Amino acid sequence: MKIERGKLIETLKELKGKGYKYLVKIAGVDNINSISVLYFVRDIDNNKEEVVEVELDPNDTALPSVEEVYKAADWYERTLYEMFGIEIKGRQIRRLLLEKWNGKGAPLRKNFEWGAPYETKQSKKAVA
Amino acid sequence: MTTKINIGPIHPSTHGVLRLVVELDGDTIVGVEPHIGFLHRGVEKLAENRMYMQNIGYMEKIDYVAPMAYDDAYVAAVEEAMGVEVKERAKYIRTILLELQRIASHLLWLGTMANDLGQFYTLFMWTFRDRDKILRLLQEHAGARMFYLNMRPGGVVRDLPPDFEENTLQVLDYIEKRITEYEHYLESNQVFIERTKGIGVLSREMAIELGATGPVLRGSGVNYDTRSNKPYYAYSELGFRPQVMFAGDSFARYKVRMLEMKESIRMVREAFKKIPEGDAVGMPVRLIMPQAKNKIVTVNRETPRGEAFIYMIADKERPYRLSIRTPSFINLSLINEIAKGSRLADLFAILGSLDLVMADVDL
Repeated sequence: MKIERGKLIETLKELKGKGYKYLVKIAGVDNINSISVLYFVRDIDNNKEEVVEVELDPNDTALPSVEEVYKAADWYERTLYEMFGIEIKGRQIRRLLLEKWNGKGAPLRKNFEWGAPYETKQSKKAVA
Repeated sequence: MTTKINIGPIHPSTHGVLRLVVELDGDTIVGVEPHIGFLHRGVEKLAENRMYMQNIGYMEKIDYVAPMAYDDAYVAAVEEAMGVEVKERAKYIRTILLELQRIASHLLWLGTMANDLGQFYTLFMWTFRDRDKILRLLQEHAGARMFYLNMRPGGVVRDLPPDFEENTLQVLDYIEKRITEYEHYLESNQVFIERTKGIGVLSREMAIELGATGPVLRGSGVNYDTRSNKPYYAYSELGFRPQVMFAGDSFARYKVRMLEMKESIRMVREAFKKIPEGDAVGMPVRLIMPQAKNKIVTVNRETPRGEAFIYMIADKERPYRLSIRTPSFINLSLINEIAKGSRLADLFAILGSLDLVMADVDL
């Protein structure tokens, strides 16, 4: 189901109340004119699945953190942040999870520059 | 006062390049912060920029302990994008091969976990010897020991060799005997029991909340297995039963995998009885060209480490977007929750029981 960004937490909380307690994955997709973020949730006991889709403007991609609803969202949100440059509101991402280079841009966006020079040192954002 | 110590990134017990920053109060773990990404290759981005057939090889490298599982998951996604049905005989062949791959993967895990618990290289050597017998079987079919590249849309690269059934049944008889022996060997070992029972407990609620998957989820008493909940290939015909334990500790996770190996052996035997005659060869890879524009495909597959989930937006020549959920990634993120309150020495017993492959984590 497609929903507005503002209703994300509300919708997921409602789904969780209905038994969709398991978060399978959060995936981002760059559609060039928009960026969609998909939340795959599952009801383990009744073997049902649901997809919640949020469409974002590429220049305004801030999303509320859903970690309060699904704890499993933690690492997925961090990968969203570094792969799509989506800012996650309500939580501070202290260091990058996967990327050890201090690169520019979001790698999984379609306008990412291949072969652009980047520092190969470990990211300066990293905290010991 | 707490102390922070650093473990890794290179350490024999981290099963790859993994750095852990452990916060300790005396000898008790207060928090674990995994630093991953040392093996990050950007598989998802690479896949978007390569043709469908070129990606098959890449997918195998996601998990080098059970490459065929990802080979299969990706090819299944391509099949769905192309609208190709898998041939009836090929379904059985894939089931047999994937289950053999699962036994091989679990055997490797068993050896390394015993290593983590301080039983240096005895069990490791034994399980490697047994695993090699399975790799030889797979080599007979695919021609390679490790990266098979044997899945093709609609089937497999070639039919099983003529004496495959006989050889496999012989090897399975041998391995079944060995597994029982290892079980006896480990479960009568006081050190093994004390270091796994009650260590690293993950409750049912937390397992669901944190998104645990595979044997970790089933070790916590959740009856969820893709093979039974979303049956594919021949699993429903073979009467697959998911193996569930309820304690949620390291021992339960160990036991789930041991029972899974026995279940796999049973299923392979059953599959040889029911396998139909006919053609099993799929189409050549150069013909992979889905006539699709932005077709959305989702595939769930139970790899030895847990559930792999592929979300693909298929285009004509190459995937527009290929998003993969790997089981090790999410299982590693549990470590903070599981290890809290344990002793530092138990950290590796817990890490071993999660069955991580770092390439699978970093993707």
